[in-house]
Amino acid sequence: MRLVSLSLYIEWVELSPVLTLSNTEKTFGALSAVARTSFSVERGSFVSIVGPSGCGKSTLFNMIAGLESPSGGSIELNGGDISGRTGHVGYMLQKDLLAPWRTVLGNITMGPHLTRGVTREDEERGAALARQYGLGEFLAHYPDALSGGMRQRVALMRTLMTDHELLLLDEPFGALDAQTRFEMQHWLLDVWQSTERTVLFVTHDVDEAIFLSDRILVLSERPGRIVLDLPIDLPRPRRTAMLTDAAFMGAKREILSLLHHESGEQ
Amino acid sequence: MRFRRNLLGSFLSFVVVIGVWQAIISFGHVAPYVAPTPLDAWRSIVENWSHLWPLTLTTAKETVFGFGAGAALGMGLGVLLSKRRFVQRVIYPILILSQAIPIIALAPPLVLVLGFGLTPKVVIVAWIVFFPVTVSVLDGLANVDRDLLMLARAYGASPWRTFLAIEVPSASASLFSGLKIGATYAVTGAIIGELAASSGSSLAMFQHAQSAQLDAAGVYGTTLIMTAVGMSWFGLITLVEFFTTPWKRRSIARRAGRHI
Repeated sequence: MRLVSLSLYIEWVELSPVLTLSNTEKTFGALSAVARTSFSVERGSFVSIVGPSGCGKSTLFNMIAGLESPSGGSIELNGGDISGRTGHVGYMLQKDLLAPWRTVLGNITMGPHLTRGVTREDEERGAALARQYGLGEFLAHYPDALSGGMRQRVALMRTLMTDHELLLLDEPFGALDAQTRFEMQHWLLDVWQSTERTVLFVTHDVDEAIFLSDRILVLSERPGRIVLDLPIDLPRPRRTAMLTDAAFMGAKREILSLLHHESGEQ
Repeated sequence: MRFRRNLLGSFLSFVVVIGVWQAIISFGHVAPYVAPTPLDAWRSIVENWSHLWPLTLTTAKETVFGFGAGAALGMGLGVLLSKRRFVQRVIYPILILSQAIPIIALAPPLVLVLGFGLTPKVVIVAWIVFFPVTVSVLDGLANVDRDLLMLARAYGASPWRTFLAIEVPSASASLFSGLKIGATYAVTGAIIGELAASSGSSLAMFQHAQSAQLDAAGVYGTTLIMTAVGMSWFGLITLVEFFTTPWKRRSIARRAGRHI
């Protein structure tokens, strides 16, 4: 009896969403940045948010990261309310925000450095992560000596080191050139699949969103609300050839028509 | 490599200054009682060395102690003012007022209050040094990347850890600019203090006596000593900056981390 309930409990934990937003909204004075929004993110999934600029994506992310408190509704992580509380999710932005005075390893271990002090174990783990994902030769480099793509890899390693199950990635490849961006997408999927994290990803690039995601949420113009919740039925691992797949094109057409309709152009 | 090149550059500029000096005296036919040649000034230093050395040590002590006090006060004020905006509004005008008082006019009353010992000189040097340090710390802290601070907050870092891990290293470049400006002014403060006290043995008074005896070589020699004190201190601060900011001159650190 007890065993059954335990296994049921485990199953419930595995199936229950990592993140649940219920009627979450944000207003700044008279301005509504995010309209009442509800959605959940399944454990281990890769979910992207696309929308026109100024649709409140960053505000949404800042609320999930705890940097801003929602004006209404709740934000639950694994069943616990995290509204207005920082330090529960991994957060990465378009700017890599590497500290120029710390080495690659020093930047990867920035999380422990900021919260409790870096231990030998932290450094060993950080070095192992770096070696596993192609940064092994650069451990002692200062960030100024690295290319934009390499810097973003370091920033993602820093985010992974924080051990949070949910990673918020806010346009992490937005500043990279097309070729580097392409490489980084493949690399990110590789990291995501081998580390079993849940990713919530913001991007302007519809192709990028489809290529990476299990599911895409399309946001309207401000105040942002979800106008489409689209599952992407492409097999994993994703291959470059899928970019011209019929399913890919179908999803792209659907999202683009919505985005352009929403912005009232073309 | 860069260090050696800097050293070579400093040596060359020294040669240029001495060369120009010698050229002006030789080609301008300047009389020895008006201005000496570099060699004469040097000879005067060597001859008076037994007198000059203890006086130099005293001036150096005033410079270093005053600089230490001024830099500490400057950094403390800089941090306080950047963290407490209201305090900044009240204190900042007072700081500017303090620098608007001509330091030469300030020295005599300070000597009256604090006596003829080390203290008034240290206070004058600190008075000069703290201001550029405060301003540079304020600037440095105001220019820390806002997004980096936000990231630290998202990581759940405490304000104190954020200060040590993000704000201090971000502001270090600016801080060193302030310290270097302070270092060049420090010796001037010490000499002004010695002049104001005008008794006892000091470099300033020694030079005063040399001047009264129309000993041009001696006056120039003593000036060289004072300059050397200021430049040594500036050099030391530059050296500290060099060794505490390796990321500015290297692309790869000696060690990746503290333990690895």
